[in-house]
Amino acid sequence: MNTGFLQSVRALIALKPKQKLTAQYLLSLGVAVLLAFLVGAGIMLLSGYDPITCYGAMFQGALGRPRALGNTLAKTVTLCLTGLAMSLAAKAGIFNVGGEGQLYLGGLAAAMVGAGMEGAPGWLIILCAILAAMAAGGAYAFLPGWLKVKLKVNEVVTTILLNTAAIYFCSYVANGPLKTAERGIASGTAMVSKAAWFTPLIRLSNLTTGVFYAAAVALIVWYLMTRSTVGFEMKITGTNERFARYGGIRAERLMLWGMVLSGMICGIVGFIEVFGLHHRFLTTISSEFYFDGMLVAMIMRYQPVGVILMSFFFAILNIGGSAMELSAGISSELMLIVQSIIIFFMAAEGGISEMVRAHAAARRVRRAAKHAERGQAL
Amino acid sequence: MQDLPPIVQFSHVSMQYPGVLANDDVSLTIRKGEVFALVGENGAGKSTLMNLLYGLQKPTLGTIHIKGTATTARHDPQRAMAMGVGMVHQHFKLVPSFTVAQNIALGMEPKRRGFFYDQRRVNREVLALGERFGLAVNPRDVVGELSVGLQQRVEILKALRRGADVLILDEPTAVLTPSETDELFTVIRRIVAEQGMTVILITHKLGEVMQLSDRVGVMRRGKLIGVVDTSATDERKLAAMMVGRDVIFDELRTGEPGEQAVLTVQNLSAADDRGLPAVRGISLTVHAGEIVGVCGVEGNGQTELTECIMGMRLQTAGTVTINGGEVSRLDPRAIRAMGVSWIPDDRLRTGLSAKATVTENLLVGKQRRAEFSGFHIHYQKKAARSYAQKLADAFDIRAGGLDLPAESLSGGNMQKAIVAREFSFDSPVLVISQPTRGVDIGAIEFIHEKIMEKRNAGCAILLVSADLDELFRLSDTLVTIYEGRITARFAAGEIDKQGISYYMTGGRQGEEAQA
Repeated sequence: MNTGFLQSVRALIALKPKQKLTAQYLLSLGVAVLLAFLVGAGIMLLSGYDPITCYGAMFQGALGRPRALGNTLAKTVTLCLTGLAMSLAAKAGIFNVGGEGQLYLGGLAAAMVGAGMEGAPGWLIILCAILAAMAAGGAYAFLPGWLKVKLKVNEVVTTILLNTAAIYFCSYVANGPLKTAERGIASGTAMVSKAAWFTPLIRLSNLTTGVFYAAAVALIVWYLMTRSTVGFEMKITGTNERFARYGGIRAERLMLWGMVLSGMICGIVGFIEVFGLHHRFLTTISSEFYFDGMLVAMIMRYQPVGVILMSFFFAILNIGGSAMELSAGISSELMLIVQSIIIFFMAAEGGISEMVRAHAAARRVRRAAKHAERGQAL
Repeated sequence: MQDLPPIVQFSHVSMQYPGVLANDDVSLTIRKGEVFALVGENGAGKSTLMNLLYGLQKPTLGTIHIKGTATTARHDPQRAMAMGVGMVHQHFKLVPSFTVAQNIALGMEPKRRGFFYDQRRVNREVLALGERFGLAVNPRDVVGELSVGLQQRVEILKALRRGADVLILDEPTAVLTPSETDELFTVIRRIVAEQGMTVILITHKLGEVMQLSDRVGVMRRGKLIGVVDTSATDERKLAAMMVGRDVIFDELRTGEPGEQAVLTVQNLSAADDRGLPAVRGISLTVHAGEIVGVCGVEGNGQTELTECIMGMRLQTAGTVTINGGEVSRLDPRAIRAMGVSWIPDDRLRTGLSAKATVTENLLVGKQRRAEFSGFHIHYQKKAARSYAQKLADAFDIRAGGLDLPAESLSGGNMQKAIVAREFSFDSPVLVISQPTRGVDIGAIEFIHEKIMEKRNAGCAILLVSADLDELFRLSDTLVTIYEGRITARFAAGEIDKQGISYYMTGGRQGEEAQA
């Protein structure tokens, strides 16, 4: 897990996305995506593959059949919720790098509730499981948030460390005290009551009714961040904490809440994975889902709508990449290269935009000067 | 004066920033051996023009000649220095823990045997340089322990050592006491007269222009409005040129201060960010309808004093009371609720959120009121927007758009936005720090009027400023602060600017005889 994890943290430090999502930024994002695909095509040509076939296979594999589309959408859900979790905390000026651990604990809590309530009606189990997942994820985020607010302990450091603790704890629990008695399950807890399983929406795909829960969460987060009074106060706190405090905003409380809510969302992701896909807690419940979401959030500068759209795009790369490997024979790692190049260009975006702006300004002034001359000549 | 040869020539120079034409077709000749003052309101483009000369930015159009040689597209500070142009910025670029000599040598260190740094040679060079230009310094002093005036001297020496014969001084007196200013002017006159230096002075203090310069260039909104001989003009005419209309500083005061003590500070002590004592037992009282002006060189505890009153900093001893209620342990939110507003001295760090929009910045503090928050949840964007528009109109905030980030505002407009927000709370107590620093004349006039309106309406106002003109103009009572202590207290009219300088540098009332 370490390489991807370190890359994510490095990307976080490099991107520092604080500015607004402008039309100009979106334009350069489009250009970056295009360039990344071109570089990817170049690599394909060099290794003797036909880029058109490969990319065709990728899109076909991600969107071509209902089942593929279902898997892509399921991936979108995970990316989008983790991305929103990151965005919400970042909006209030606090970085939650600990979503992975919060996700594990949320999943574990949901699985235990789901298994323990065998016999209860499905809706009640789901309700209790959601609450348990939110409580677990939120509580685990509260600790670093509290340390940050009260003792000024850097939250990036604490959340990174707490990730490892949570993952190992869950691994221990799933292999030890709470290991299922069933055979054939290497490291997992007992199965969730069948009454509470999410119903698949598309046969054989990972897309389940869990997507509705995700949509509800996304809607709430979007409202909170962009349309609410609290969102306003979060924005002020996130852009200048000292100013917020001076202006009479309870900045510390908002930061703490931002962190806790972020942890709750991560817990819900764990819950959705358990109830939709595995039906029990497995130690393989997530493979750095949160760090993928974090990247999406940073590339889209923590704008909720942008995060949702970009999640879909990254899901296509992810699911389509695997399909491409199967049908066209080229390694799915290529899609990682394409993703990395997009990130690379977005990190350089500031400098590139600056260059474009300077050129445009020079052109404008020259044109104005020419007009003035012509005016005088007349 | 007319026959002096040109040394710097701007021809048709324009500089376009995103959304702002900072210099608009400026043509200007500066002659060798003169003191040329460049005046204008904030955002008029004077600093931009000098940054172009010094190579910090490249002109969008037009050319600059230095001593007859055109600057190239790759003009930068190194090349500017090689051509003899030196610049002393408003905020010094010195390493506080280095000695004077080390700072002066930095970037151009003499080497022994091509490798080892030669400290002794540097010290000798600096001494010789100081002697030659009449700028005495001790090369072994650590810069961080020097007064601001001496630090500025180090900056000037640094430029001179690199062979500058055109020296740009950006707002050089903004941080100096009156006596330090006099000293600086003596130095400038000497290097111009004896060494044939050319000095370009960026300022908006017209008194200094009249005192020091040979010619004045006036800029307004990016254009060079005119260049005049200093002897043929006066302050009023220059001010009118800068603003584009007549500026009249009237007496605004009506009525006497009340008897009721509103803001009381008793034996207040506080530490600065490094934990060192900054405020050491200050007591003062502000009555309703009174402006108490705090005079002092910056960094003598003024910032910490205001922060304590506002609840942004916890005091180590003493109390603050407002209308008899103690606020010493409350947070800013509670203190605001008791009717205190603050215009902080650090606009970008405390006064605003640069990345939030102008509207959002104007609204902060009122976002929970029913009209802006439906059911205490929903942010009423439209109501906020129209409220911001009303404030912007009332306080003449010129913004490219209220939905643009606050950082797009010029310094003067940022300050007007802060004033607008803080004054709109109708608080009976106002703590005002450096209300017009870096603000142009038109806006100064406006902000002063607003402050006096508040005073005449019965507000208790504590005014902290580094600008003596401002303090003398507005205050009913003046106190001086030095190293965290109040050193003297005067009613307006009891003392003049020259006299008060003594107390600002540590002299105590009642000890004049010994001094």
